[in-house]
Amino acid sequence: MKRSIGLFLVVLLFSVFVLGSIAIAKDVVLKYWMWDPQLTDEVNKLIAKFESQNPGVKVELTAMAPKDYWTKIRIAASTKKLPDVFNMSSGYLEEWAQKGFLKDLTDYVNKDIDPEKYFINLFDAGKAISGTDKYYAVPFALVTTVLYFNKDMFDEAGLSYPNSNWTWDDFLKAAKALTKDKDGDGKIDQWGYYFYGRYANVEPWIYRNSGYLINRKKMRFEPNDNAMEAIKFLISLVKEHKVAPMPKLMSGMKAKDVFPRGLTAMWIDGSWNIRNNRKVIGNKFRWGIAEVPMGPHKADVEFGWPDFISMSKYTKHTDIAWKFIKFASGEGLSLDMYMAGKIPSYKPLALSEAFLEKGKQPAEKGLLIKMAAKEMKNSFTKGWGEWRGYGGAEKMGLNGALDSILNGESFDKVWPSAVKYINKVLARYYK
Amino acid sequence: MKKQLKWYKSYHPWLFLIPTLIGLFVFRLWPISYSFYISFTTWDIMTPPKWIGFQNYKELLSDPTFYKILTNTFLFSLIYVVGVMVVGLFLAVLVNAKLKGRDFFRTTFFTPVVTSAVAVGLVWSWILAPKFGILNNFLSSVFHINPPIWLEDTRWALLTVAFIRVWKMAGYYMIIYLAGLQEIPGTLYEAANIDGATPWQRFKNITLPLLTPTTFFVFTIAIIDSFRNFAIIYTMTRGGPENATNTIVYSVFLNAFQFYRMGYAGALSYVLLLIVGVITLINFLLKKYWVQYQY
Repeated sequence: MKRSIGLFLVVLLFSVFVLGSIAIAKDVVLKYWMWDPQLTDEVNKLIAKFESQNPGVKVELTAMAPKDYWTKIRIAASTKKLPDVFNMSSGYLEEWAQKGFLKDLTDYVNKDIDPEKYFINLFDAGKAISGTDKYYAVPFALVTTVLYFNKDMFDEAGLSYPNSNWTWDDFLKAAKALTKDKDGDGKIDQWGYYFYGRYANVEPWIYRNSGYLINRKKMRFEPNDNAMEAIKFLISLVKEHKVAPMPKLMSGMKAKDVFPRGLTAMWIDGSWNIRNNRKVIGNKFRWGIAEVPMGPHKADVEFGWPDFISMSKYTKHTDIAWKFIKFASGEGLSLDMYMAGKIPSYKPLALSEAFLEKGKQPAEKGLLIKMAAKEMKNSFTKGWGEWRGYGGAEKMGLNGALDSILNGESFDKVWPSAVKYINKVLARYYK
Repeated sequence: MKKQLKWYKSYHPWLFLIPTLIGLFVFRLWPISYSFYISFTTWDIMTPPKWIGFQNYKELLSDPTFYKILTNTFLFSLIYVVGVMVVGLFLAVLVNAKLKGRDFFRTTFFTPVVTSAVAVGLVWSWILAPKFGILNNFLSSVFHINPPIWLEDTRWALLTVAFIRVWKMAGYYMIIYLAGLQEIPGTLYEAANIDGATPWQRFKNITLPLLTPTTFFVFTIAIIDSFRNFAIIYTMTRGGPENATNTIVYSVFLNAFQFYRMGYAGALSYVLLLIVGVITLINFLLKKYWVQYQY
C-alpha cells in the first residue's frame, strides 16, 4: 500500500514537472542585459508592461555594474551564449559590430522607426561610430557635455551669465574676473575654471572649434590645426592666464566634486553630472548650464554620445526581440529612468514638460533638448580606452600626457611621444 | 585490532584528497598553464585566441615603458621588503616586552592588515591630498615648509605608495616575528645578563641569529607579497603620474581587463613569474649560508 502511494506521488510530481516545462517551453524567453543596477526596479516595471502587451513572452533581466558588465558579456560572446538583447555603448559599438556579434537592424529601423518620434541624428551617430553603413544599435539615451557655472559667483563679480554666443574671449574675461584669493593668504581659493586631460573636459572645445583628433580615413591620431588651437588655448588657461589650477592641486578629491564644492566658478563635463551636482550642492548656491563656447572657427556641433540597445546575432526570436528593443528605447520608458542629465532619444519623453523638471536646478534644462538635435561628434575608436587614457588607464595615453603638461612639463617634451604612443595603439587595431 | 582496519585500503587517502585536488587543478594549475599558452596568442576574450608565437614577448622587450615598469616593480619590492622586515621586527620586539596594554597594541598594529586595501588607499589619499589633506596642511602651518604633492610627484609617488603598503602590512610580519621571538629560550638572555651584556649586544648576538629561520621565512614571503600591489595602486594613483607607480601587476590588470589584450597580459605575468621564481630560487640556495636552525 505504502509503495503504491509512493509510486503514485512520484508519477504525479513527474507529470506536473513535464507538463510544466512544456507549458513554459511555449513561452518565448528573451534575455536582456543592462549595466545600470540602480534602475532595476524601473526596468522591471517596463518589462511587466511589455509582457502584458505580449502574452507568451517572458523577459529575463540581468543587471550588472559597468565594470563587470563588459568582461562578462565578452565571455558570453565568446561562447555564443549572448543575451538576445543587451545594452551597447558608443565606445564598444564599432568593435562589436565589426566582429559580427550584432544583428543588422537596418531593415527594422527603416520600416518601424518613425522619424517624428525619435532623434534620428542619434541613430546616424551610431551608424557613423560603427564604421559601417548599417544600423546595429538603437539609441535610448544621449549624454552631451555642458558648461556648468556658479550663478552666485557670477553675480558677485557683476558678470552676465554664459550664453550660446559666448566666444573664447568672453570665457577668458569671465574666468579672469572669477579667479580670486579670497582670504589673502597668497593662495587662490576660487578658480575661474577647472579641468584636466579628461575626454569630457577637453574635447567639446575641440569640436566646437571645427577640430578633430582622429583622421578617419587613415585611422590615426592627427589633430588638425583647429584642434591644436583649442588644446593650446586650454593649456594657456593654466600656464599663462592662471585662471585654472594645475590638476595635481585638486588630487585627493573626486573631479566631479570640485565644482559642486564651490572651488571653481565654471566646469565643463558630461550632462549626467546634474545628478551629483544636485546631491552635493543642495541649496548652497545657484548654478546653471550653458553650451560650451565656440572657438574662432565656429562649429555648432556637440560632443555627445548615445547609449544603445543591440540585438545578438544568434538570437532565435528576432521579431519579438526587435519589438522589445523598440519598446525599451521608446514607448516603454518613463522619465524616472533617466538619471538627471541623460536625454531620451524618444521625442515624446524628451519634449515633455516633465523633462524640464521646473523647480529644480539647473533652470536651463531645456537647453539639453536643443543640443540633442544637433550633430554629435566624438573620438571613439577601437582601443579608445587605451589611447585616450580612460578608467584604470587615466594616467596614461592622451589624458596622462595632457595632465603632465598642465602640471608643469613642457608641451614640446611631452606631446611628440604622446602622439607616437597613441598611433602605436591605433596601428594595432587599424592596420 | 586487525578486524577494525580490514575496510581500510591503500587508495582511500586519495579519495579524501580528491576534492582538494580538483579545486587545486581547476582553479590554480589549469589557469596557470592555460595562461602560459595564452601568452603566445592574441586574445580579446570575444573571439578565439590566435597563435602569434613570441610576438607578445618581443613587444614587451622592445617597449621602453616596460623597462620603466620593471624598474618600478623592483624598487617597490625593495622598499616594501626592507620596510616590512625592519618595521615588523621593531614592532615585534616592542610588543614582546612585558608591558601593560601590549595586547591592545598587538591588535592595533594588526588592524591595517585586515582592513580593505581600497579603504586604506582612499583614506591615505585624503590625508595626503594637497588642498584639504591634513598632512600637508600640518607641515605648512607648523613647520612652514612647502611639501610636495606626494601622490602626483614623479619623485615621491612610488615611495609614498610603497610606504603606505608597508604601513598596512607590517603588522602581519610583526606576528610572524613575534612567534619567532617567543621560541628563543629565556635562559639564553638570563645567561647573557649574568655576563653583563648590553641590550644591543643581546639583540645582536642572541636574538638576530636565533631569528634567522623566521627571517628567512619572512624574507621569502615578503618578496612574493611585494608584487601584490594592485589594489593600492588602483585606488591611489592608477599607475601615474607618468608611469611612476606603474608596476607589472598593475599593467597586467590594465592589459587584461581594460584593454582586453589577454595574450600580452599573459606574457607580462609570466615575466613576473620568472622573476619571482629566480629570486626565490636564489634565496633558497643561499639559505645554508646564513640561516641557523636551533635543532
